[in-house]
Amino acid sequence: MLDFLYQSGWGAFTAMLLFQIPFLIVFVSLIFWKSVAGREPSGTDDKKTWWVEAMWLTAVVALFLVVNIVSIQYLPAVSTARAVQSAVQSGQDIQDVDVTAASWYYEMSNREFIAGDPIRFSAKATDTQHGFAVYHPDGRVLFTMMLIPGVGPASLVYTFQDPGTYKVRCLEYCGLAHHDMSDELIVTASAN
Amino acid sequence: MLSPAAIIQRTPLFGRMFSVDESTGLEEINGWPGLMIMTSFAWLAVAGLLGVAMPLTQIFELDAGLFYLAITAHGAALVFPFLLQLVFGVSLHRAGGCLGTPATGLIPALIFWFMNVGAVLLTIAILFGFSVSYAVMYPLPIVGVETGQWSMWVVVLGFTGIALVLLSVIVLYPIQVLKMLFFDQQRDYLLLTPRSLRDPGMLGMAMAALVLLVAGTPLIIVASAVLLGLYGILPMALITWATEPVVFQFVFFIFAHNLMEAMAIMVIAAVYATLPLYLADGTRKLYSERLARLALWILLVTSVTSFFHHFYTMLPALPAALSYHGHIMSWGTGIGAALSIFTIGATIWKHGIRPDPALMAILFGFVLYVLDGVSAIITSNVVWSFQLHGTMWQSAHTMAVLIAMTLLWLGVFMHHYPVITGRTLSKKTGYSFVALYTISALGLAYSMLAAGAAGMPRRFAAWNQEGWMFYGNLILFFGLLLAVALAVLAYDLYKSRFIPEPVAGGQAMPAE
Repeated sequence: MLDFLYQSGWGAFTAMLLFQIPFLIVFVSLIFWKSVAGREPSGTDDKKTWWVEAMWLTAVVALFLVVNIVSIQYLPAVSTARAVQSAVQSGQDIQDVDVTAASWYYEMSNREFIAGDPIRFSAKATDTQHGFAVYHPDGRVLFTMMLIPGVGPASLVYTFQDPGTYKVRCLEYCGLAHHDMSDELIVTASAN
Repeated sequence: MLSPAAIIQRTPLFGRMFSVDESTGLEEINGWPGLMIMTSFAWLAVAGLLGVAMPLTQIFELDAGLFYLAITAHGAALVFPFLLQLVFGVSLHRAGGCLGTPATGLIPALIFWFMNVGAVLLTIAILFGFSVSYAVMYPLPIVGVETGQWSMWVVVLGFTGIALVLLSVIVLYPIQVLKMLFFDQQRDYLLLTPRSLRDPGMLGMAMAALVLLVAGTPLIIVASAVLLGLYGILPMALITWATEPVVFQFVFFIFAHNLMEAMAIMVIAAVYATLPLYLADGTRKLYSERLARLALWILLVTSVTSFFHHFYTMLPALPAALSYHGHIMSWGTGIGAALSIFTIGATIWKHGIRPDPALMAILFGFVLYVLDGVSAIITSNVVWSFQLHGTMWQSAHTMAVLIAMTLLWLGVFMHHYPVITGRTLSKKTGYSFVALYTISALGLAYSMLAAGAAGMPRRFAAWNQEGWMFYGNLILFFGLLLAVALAVLAYDLYKSRFIPEPVAGGQAMPAE
């Protein structure tokens, strides 16, 4: 469940709806009720209203904290550290892949990988802004990087789990052939 | 030189909708604001047509260059000469009526002319190929010349237009607001409803003006240096500090992000200022002005440095600490929003509301704004950003916040319409407009958010793959519905009726 929520666009969409739907129901009902059905003022006890306010803010802060604290385990820095730790423990090297993006193509030091092996992608742009986004064969965005020329490379470690052909696309508008800027990565099953 | 009111009178079609009532003696707070509002609607018509053109270029598989032209022109027209000019016009009218200070003289004139002349120059450049998207994507303008995508003269023309628009937004408008707030002499005949900085409405306006001025100054400096280099006035070697892509990107987003936040602060302030005027019990009081002011301060303080969320996926070129800071501040703006939700909800609950299309536009604009706010904080979580950045989710957020603020400001404008024009609008047509607009806004937002969740890239002229055209068709449908809603509003404005009793100069209008 958490993997779905935090590692896919549809998970983000679901989380968004969980925040939005209660607000929509309550607030829109309030507008209709107090403008049409029960327009007269409600007798409010200020102490009670204060409690409602305190509960509301506490709930909001608590929800914000929970959602974000749980997301920590999925931070790129955390997954990179885990991959490094796992590699050290198993005696396996992290494979380094250098990516250079220019209008409108990628140069990559390697395009073929084995499922389960950690890969460190280090990408840079040479002329204008580009993106390096990797899509799972089922269409999900796995990760994306923003590449600005003149700064150090963007870098993260990723471990492909499923064999298949992974699409690479540029997600930073880079000119009239931006939509044609793409590439492919091939992931094969591990022999183990 | 024609007065603003005279220019409005002489404008075909739009003049009928926005002509200023000169019998009230309020031309000093109606003239330039009215002209800005009218001109903003003309740009809305242009931007709307371009918005519909985008999905059509994909459905009919037209040249990709047309898509990128449309996306650049649509974005540029919508944000600056439409929405910002609408905001400037309505807010200057409101400030004048609440402070008793005029919106006349050189500065309002320059705000108007710089904004519109700049926008025209930029539009011409775009039509001749300057397809850089409304985010400019520097150094793409220069790389585009080097790779033969467009000519150097369109870059120079485009940057000239952008510079004029930025001067209007970053320098002239804030100076005019601050002048009206702190320096101009009050004129009693202009004072419709006295307000001070203790009122959340006025406080929000002052905050927004200062945010624009402070956050925009680095961009003005960098953009000016680039422009002077393009004109050959400064040698390019002398401005390398400004032409570094990362420099331009950071000053751009420090401004652009805070531009949106400033508009949000102003729009929440506008809700705080206008809602009390429609309370059923006639008390004209918010549930708590202290809470309202607190919400604005939280929104201000957290939003200023949350702009790092535009750069998360540069990791580690952007140090992770700045990413985390941006993440925390971005979600912190949600606390300010939560306070506003409570204050507005409690006000409605405690006092009841007197239904009116203007109020409904404001309240449903607020609903859309909060819904969009959720999509924004989701994508400003570092983890989710690595799945969503660069997809249609970002376009959804941008469009949804602009659409929400548009409805809110249209509601404020509808509220002030009788004072500006001496005419009233139809309640039935007004409700139809609000309903259609809200439904189409929700449809557009969710279509684009779903497209982003599905991985559809933004600013991308190849929709016909991976099933993305399904979302494209939805976007076209709801975009056309939005156009219908705005046509209903235009009809309402065109058919507005004169108020039978003329208003004596200086007397407060009902519900001002």
